[in-house]
Amino acid sequence: MSKIVSVNQLSKTLGNIRVIDNVSFDIESGEFLAVQGPSGSGKTTLLGLLAGLEKADEGSILIGDEELTSMTEDQLALFRRHNIGFVFQTFNLIPTLNTLENIALPLYPERINRKDMLERARKAAYDVGLSERLDHYPNELSGGEQQRVAVARSLINEPKVIFADEPTGNLDSKTGEKIIELLHKLNTEKGQTFVLVTHDDKIAKKSSRIIRLIDGRIKHDK
Amino acid sequence: MLHYAIKELLKRSKLYLLSVMVIGLVTLMVITLNSLGDAYKEASRLPFNDIQGTIIMQRNGNVPEDISGVLLSCSLAPIRQEVISRISKIDDVRDISTALSLWVFDADHFKRVLGVNWSDNFGKKLASKLIEGTIPKTNQEVLVEKTYAQKNALEIGRKIDIAGQQFTIVGFIGTAGNEVVASDIYLNLREAQEMAYQSKNLQEVEAFDKTDVNIVFIDAAYPNMVAATQQIKQIATSDESNAGKTPLGQTIGNYNIYTPESFEDQISAVFHISDKLIWIISLVISVGAALIAARNTLHNILERRREFGIMKSVGFRSRDISREVGIETFIQVLVGFAIGLILSATAIVALAHTSVSIAIPWELSPYPHFLLANPNEANVVQTHLLPIKLEPLYVLSSFLIILVIGLITSFLGTWQINRLKPMEVMRYE
Repeated sequence: MSKIVSVNQLSKTLGNIRVIDNVSFDIESGEFLAVQGPSGSGKTTLLGLLAGLEKADEGSILIGDEELTSMTEDQLALFRRHNIGFVFQTFNLIPTLNTLENIALPLYPERINRKDMLERARKAAYDVGLSERLDHYPNELSGGEQQRVAVARSLINEPKVIFADEPTGNLDSKTGEKIIELLHKLNTEKGQTFVLVTHDDKIAKKSSRIIRLIDGRIKHDK
Repeated sequence: MLHYAIKELLKRSKLYLLSVMVIGLVTLMVITLNSLGDAYKEASRLPFNDIQGTIIMQRNGNVPEDISGVLLSCSLAPIRQEVISRISKIDDVRDISTALSLWVFDADHFKRVLGVNWSDNFGKKLASKLIEGTIPKTNQEVLVEKTYAQKNALEIGRKIDIAGQQFTIVGFIGTAGNEVVASDIYLNLREAQEMAYQSKNLQEVEAFDKTDVNIVFIDAAYPNMVAATQQIKQIATSDESNAGKTPLGQTIGNYNIYTPESFEDQISAVFHISDKLIWIISLVISVGAALIAARNTLHNILERRREFGIMKSVGFRSRDISREVGIETFIQVLVGFAIGLILSATAIVALAHTSVSIAIPWELSPYPHFLLANPNEANVVQTHLLPIKLEPLYVLSSFLIILVIGLITSFLGTWQINRLKPMEVMRYE
């Protein structure tokens, strides 16, 4: 396994609070990493920093060969489009687009013809088991189905890493389990790297590695 | 991106309806108001269609004490050839026609007589209204207006007495009766001038030379008509005969210069609106529309904050978002413009069925009030269908205006969106 993410002395302050405090760690390709910690420990902020959704105050984040902390907003956006997948707790789908179009959303700014774009989205939908719901709009899908759409959307660009922020937080336990099973399946079958924030110990225990954050610092990395 | 924009607009049509309607309203108002303004300008030129000219020149005269025999109609004063010659040298003057309008108070009845030069443009225009017979070839031949002929049982070949002279009727002329310089009898200008010259009553009021006329029709090119009118006015005011006195010692009257603008104030119609008002209304509507559209766009962006956050998080750059918002705005502009254009075309078709009435100044088609049972009958009014049409220039102007409004709102919108930090939106929404 090769190193795919390298975090070095990363810090972030929000207001007067140092949310991430001098954090360093690496992530290997194909890892399934769970980030745990109490509320306010900095889990979501760390995920945002790693995904290039937020800019660090200090330190460096290397994904592949690219240094994120020196990138502009637009460079970060382009980097996210080609290298990062993100799954939110609240699914975050576009209500006016159907399943197939929501999955294809990251490809919209690309110069790809619509047929190829939808074909790729159809393949991603198949990978997450949504082939029967392609024409449905988010309000016509269950919570579990919406999260599957979000997972498929994160896969569409074949990213280096997928970051998932409490992906089961808005789902009942049974549906949540199915989503975690799906992520593990993608991890084992496709070798996809996952970094997942969760409160749930059961989910964390299934991960190959757990980082525990307290007050923005790594207290446990196993 | 286009597909997403179309779906967004269709799925949330209520959200964008106001902007589209505002754009449609701007298009409608800009096209219709300006076309209406042009139509009234065009309408004010319609009375000039009768005379094949764009400027009419007359001169105020004095009222004779003895109203009998041959008189200058409406007491119009004579205009000297020297003045006409100076006007003909103005660059923008393309053509000059002249006529002599006389009132003949004969013992049998009153006659309006017009001396016409059949070879000038006014004469040719009149000749085109010949409905029977031929135009006069000798000074002893006349044309008679058809209604007048019917009223007085006149026929071609018969003689008619004018101020004691016998003339042969050689044809009938068909006029609407409410035209500029309408008359009962038309004869050669030379003969009319001779008749006026010989009239003792006329010569007592105004000194009349054998080559004088009392109506001058000037054809000046439209774009330069204002400049030409100014020069004509200068010539008129510098006319040396202004300083003199009439044979009775009265002051010689001023010149009247009629242009299409003179008729604009005479137009009465339901939707009559001035140029200045059109510009003020267009400006207010455009600014108001820009504010409403900008407010609506910003409101819509606020409603879609989360979606723009999602788009940014999956890799949309500022320029991608700008493109998306730009496409959405452009579609709204196109749809609003199409609606506005259809409404404008409908409004213009409807307005084209309305009529405008133009009161012709009495001096331009004079008839003695005192001979009429109802003096108001002497007032001549022309009624025309409003000559309004869809002007491509205003279609283009309205499109440019709404495009600018669209660009401004689109710019404001994307500026707001690009300030959003995706993580903040996700965290707080």
